[in-house]
Amino acid sequence: MQTAMAKGSIFVARSLPDALAALDDRGPTGAVFAGGTWIMRAPIRHEPLAANYVAIGKIPELTAVTITSETIEIGAAVTHAALAAALDGLPEFAVLTMAAGRAANPAIRSAATIGGNMATTQFAAADCVPALLCLDAEVELGSPEGCERMPLVRFLAIRSTLAPGRLLTRIIVQRKGRNSAHARLPLRKAGDYPVAIVSLAISCDAAGRVATARVAIGSVEPIARRWERLEAALIGHPIEPERLAQLAREFADDFTGRDSVEVPAWYRLSVLPSLVRRAATAVLAGA
Amino acid sequence: MGLSLSINGDRATPSADPITPLVDVLREELHLTGVKPVCREGFCGACMVLVDGTPTLSCLTPLALVENCEIRTAEGLSTNGVLTPVQAALETADAVQCGMCFPGMVVSLTHVLATTPSATRDDIRAALTGNICRCTGYERIVEAALTVVRK
Amino acid sequence: MSDVSATMDFRRRDASDKLQGRTRYTVDRYLPGMLHAAVLRADVASGRILKLDTSRAARMPGVRAIVSTADAPGMIGIGIADHPLFARDVIRYNGEPLAAVAADTLAQAQAALAAIEVEIAPTTPLLTMADALAPEAPLIHPDWESYEVLLPGAARGSNVAWEATVVRGDVDAAFTRPDVVVVDSSFRVGRQNHVAFEQRAVVAAYEDGRFHIETSTQVPWTIRNATARLLGVSPAQVRVTVPPVGGGFGLKFDLAIEPFAALLARKSRRPVRLVNSREEEMLTCLFRENAEIRIRSAVTRDGDIVGREAVVLMDCGAYGGEQIFLTTMTAHTLGGNYKLGSARLVSRAVYTNTAPNGAFRACNGVYNTFALERHTDEIAARLGMDPLAFRRRNVLGDGDLGATGQTFEGDVLGPMLDRMAEMRPSTPARQIGSDGRLHGRATTVGTWFVFVGPSAATVNMNADGTATLVTSGVEIGSGSMMQGLPQIVAATLGLDPANVIVRAADTDAAGYDVGVGGGRTTVSLGAASLSAAQEVRAKLLKVASEMIEAAPEDLVLRDGRIEIAGAPGSGRTIVEVATRAQATFGPVSGTGAFTGGTVPSMPGCAAGHFIEAIEIPVFAVHDCEVAVDPDTGHVEVLSYRVVQDVGRALNPRAIRGQIQGGVTQGLGYALHEEVTIGSDGRVCQTGFETYRVPLALDVVPVEICLHEGAPSKGPLGTKGAGEVPILNVGATIACAVANATATRVQELPLTPPRVLGLMLGRTPELAFPHISDRWSDNLVRPHGASES
Repeated sequence: MQTAMAKGSIFVARSLPDALAALDDRGPTGAVFAGGTWIMRAPIRHEPLAANYVAIGKIPELTAVTITSETIEIGAAVTHAALAAALDGLPEFAVLTMAAGRAANPAIRSAATIGGNMATTQFAAADCVPALLCLDAEVELGSPEGCERMPLVRFLAIRSTLAPGRLLTRIIVQRKGRNSAHARLPLRKAGDYPVAIVSLAISCDAAGRVATARVAIGSVEPIARRWERLEAALIGHPIEPERLAQLAREFADDFTGRDSVEVPAWYRLSVLPSLVRRAATAVLAGA
Repeated sequence: MGLSLSINGDRATPSADPITPLVDVLREELHLTGVKPVCREGFCGACMVLVDGTPTLSCLTPLALVENCEIRTAEGLSTNGVLTPVQAALETADAVQCGMCFPGMVVSLTHVLATTPSATRDDIRAALTGNICRCTGYERIVEAALTVVRK
Repeated sequence: MSDVSATMDFRRRDASDKLQGRTRYTVDRYLPGMLHAAVLRADVASGRILKLDTSRAARMPGVRAIVSTADAPGMIGIGIADHPLFARDVIRYNGEPLAAVAADTLAQAQAALAAIEVEIAPTTPLLTMADALAPEAPLIHPDWESYEVLLPGAARGSNVAWEATVVRGDVDAAFTRPDVVVVDSSFRVGRQNHVAFEQRAVVAAYEDGRFHIETSTQVPWTIRNATARLLGVSPAQVRVTVPPVGGGFGLKFDLAIEPFAALLARKSRRPVRLVNSREEEMLTCLFRENAEIRIRSAVTRDGDIVGREAVVLMDCGAYGGEQIFLTTMTAHTLGGNYKLGSARLVSRAVYTNTAPNGAFRACNGVYNTFALERHTDEIAARLGMDPLAFRRRNVLGDGDLGATGQTFEGDVLGPMLDRMAEMRPSTPARQIGSDGRLHGRATTVGTWFVFVGPSAATVNMNADGTATLVTSGVEIGSGSMMQGLPQIVAATLGLDPANVIVRAADTDAAGYDVGVGGGRTTVSLGAASLSAAQEVRAKLLKVASEMIEAAPEDLVLRDGRIEIAGAPGSGRTIVEVATRAQATFGPVSGTGAFTGGTVPSMPGCAAGHFIEAIEIPVFAVHDCEVAVDPDTGHVEVLSYRVVQDVGRALNPRAIRGQIQGGVTQGLGYALHEEVTIGSDGRVCQTGFETYRVPLALDVVPVEICLHEGAPSKGPLGTKGAGEVPILNVGATIACAVANATATRVQELPLTPPRVLGLMLGRTPELAFPHISDRWSDNLVRPHGASES
């Protein structure tokens, strides 16, 4: 075969208990296979494949998006394309619709999953990670012992050291009547990973002043994170894109840019203020 | 024991390891060499096939995940050599140059025109974000697709 | 001569199968019993090979043959034979081949590569031309003086593989005139990867004591001869055939991986398939070379260019290859476009410890045109002249001298500029858009040529009324073999072009050919085909004249008939005539041959050149509008216009397709496509994630005017049309971005970080300490001095 892919097993689970049992059974040699868009590139990147994969893409409970008046719950194996379609018409989740609907390219979006996006440790430019961070998302981890819920931010911190057998099953977001926006900067019009991402979710009081604010920054550092200093500076003020951009400039050294083949570190930092302005402008337009 | 799938209307039970990328199964076992492994990482679209009607990157799809699926490749879109409207429009527009990207292009265009019957120029261009063409500069491909929309 | 089928939008016969995925490119060829090959490559940029032991690998499962340097004793090159197939004792670039393995499966071949025991003592690599030209730099080729010289007369020395110089007129006097201003500009460009979709691929077999190489190439005869040279066998022992090629763009204008497969086939006695991985394609691309350019001009206040001097450094990588030839092109590209009172140019191919570079559509021309046109804008700005008026005043016209003293014929560029002036909107060169973006516009000119040289063709007139055209031409996607050539033969014989069968390239069937590239297919192969068809025509007319009882000169061939001129329906069908001819004299065929004549240059002007004057010049005028995002440095192309000198357009629609495609590749070069080399000497962009070519959303429809009627020695007045569209894209975008941002654009590509860096003042002005202020100090030896 062209890639000389190492032989490995792949078990296509049909239910969540099946998947959990299979992962438990395979222990440290096992790994989750969601959309596969990252794993299948391993030979190209000269990275080893796991010996035994457990595919979760055919599990009904993991491929559903459940929207109620209080929450949205996203199965870990929901694809980007499916999520963007499910959220279409919910302005509060514009940030996530944009993140899921514009990432990579159409065929990747119809394969790559939200769970995979959260769990891939090497993928600094994942669109949905900052989008879900700014929505205060929680994740649910399953294991044969039961399930556990934690904030996404905690999951991001522990994801590379998760014990074998644990599976990200769902992502839960509370509906809070926010307005949100996602400003991403690919180097071409589309089709490449953004070099910087600003995800923004804001709620305002009756006077139009910011009551809650979440700003999450993706792709600038190896792991997306919130910009708490900027969030705090928004509270109590109207949404003023120019002011936000100015604040972003002032607080720029809160981040350490990531150097890569695509762009130098300084560039990722340089574009942040204008992405903050664009996100704020979009929030205003959607409000 | 091979798993079973449908390829261009025929049943097939390839013997490859289930983790094998579909592109290699299609080319090397089933001799469907219209499916092109150009980048093998999902950026170029030359290996695209329809899996149950959805454009799918066969380089990133292991065989195991298409069990019992209906797969259609560029070879299987036309019937007895009669080109589909998209293929015919591309031929009429003199859009083809080296031709390596077209099996995947045709798959993407077939899908966008089926799902967005009144697709605009920008819809078509956006739908081709994952289909690189190094020869043509895209313009004729987009124009040809628009002629199908207008019909 | 009937013109009915010579100018038409004849459709390609290969489109239908290509659209259905039925076309079998070389990568799609699988033979019974075929082995799979893989190549072991060095992972350091520079070093000495202490040990290379293949014995353990040879015992690995499925391994059928291993070859290394002892199997390939020869050396190849252009101008000088400096390049062995495998590294010999010395590693000169990261990725250099060390050994090749054939096994039953690719996985087995790759496993065997890993079992080859290699010890390399790394040495400090010279990764940049500045490193290589440093006074104390070690020699990348310490034995350079012992290499076989294939074209004598050029200056060489230290890490300069080749030096081509042009001196015309008294440049020193021009620069010291009291009435001139001197404008001094520096430019730098990176490499460009062709990204041919079909990787370089080969299937080789060893049959009846000869090699049969099926390969994805533009140059079957080069593969034949160079493989033979490397393997130390007679060229007659090598047969090369070429299936449809999935993109070339110059990448496949040189030998690549064919000899590995050939050697392995001979050793294993089995057919061997070798296909580069995309990563190998990215790392050992034979890129368009990176270059550094300093250009100075002495210009009178009225706008006359009385003196021009330039130093062009071209990085050839570890081996000379194509860049040796391309030093020639500076005279015609950087030295083109404008009337020059005097000129001196030096073009140096410099060895570095990086992957060898190669040919790429309008080689050398794209960056020299970028440099020349940006320099021209800097001159106009200094003089306070409108850049268009400056160009209109100075472009080459009828009777003007080129840099090497050749005389140009016809007023071409001037009228083309006038045509562009009509097409272009009258927006200013710089304005702020309503969205806050910075808008810029620019018009540039460019000079290119047709790479003529030998071609052969045979036309067999079949008794069924079809004709078979046999050449060594290859269909690489441009359509020349599918459209232009059958149109020429059909027009000569009065046939429908669909009735002209085109034989795929086979060095056993057709005579020598330089290859498909350099805009030469329609011109050189076309001229040979025309001449072959004319011989057939004469033979048919002779027979027809007896059958119809009319003098041959009164007969015309059209619509499948030979008839009396002015009497449609008279005469006989070509089937009848060809059948009679076959029965009487035997089957009718004709042969044709072509090579360039010699347009003279001025004696003594050029040294170290392969081509001193250009046989068929090709001109282009481009114009574009861009919008630059001041926050991010993103450049959006708003519109793009081309006026292209095509001589005569045989298939206008096909040419327009080439222009749209060529401009798009140029947009990639100008804006997106960047190659960087890491401290380990390895190309950093290993795939399409980091090497970004334009996508459908990044391009605009190009507004095109085909300028016909300029003098051409091509058949039916044609010129090559597929190569030149990329020529001034980098130049035009760069000039427009410079206008938009009011910055001094000195480098390509103009990626968002580079443009933002310019606008933020983060980018220091370019300075080349390794280019001396005194032009003559940049030469290995004075222009005109002989060797020794």
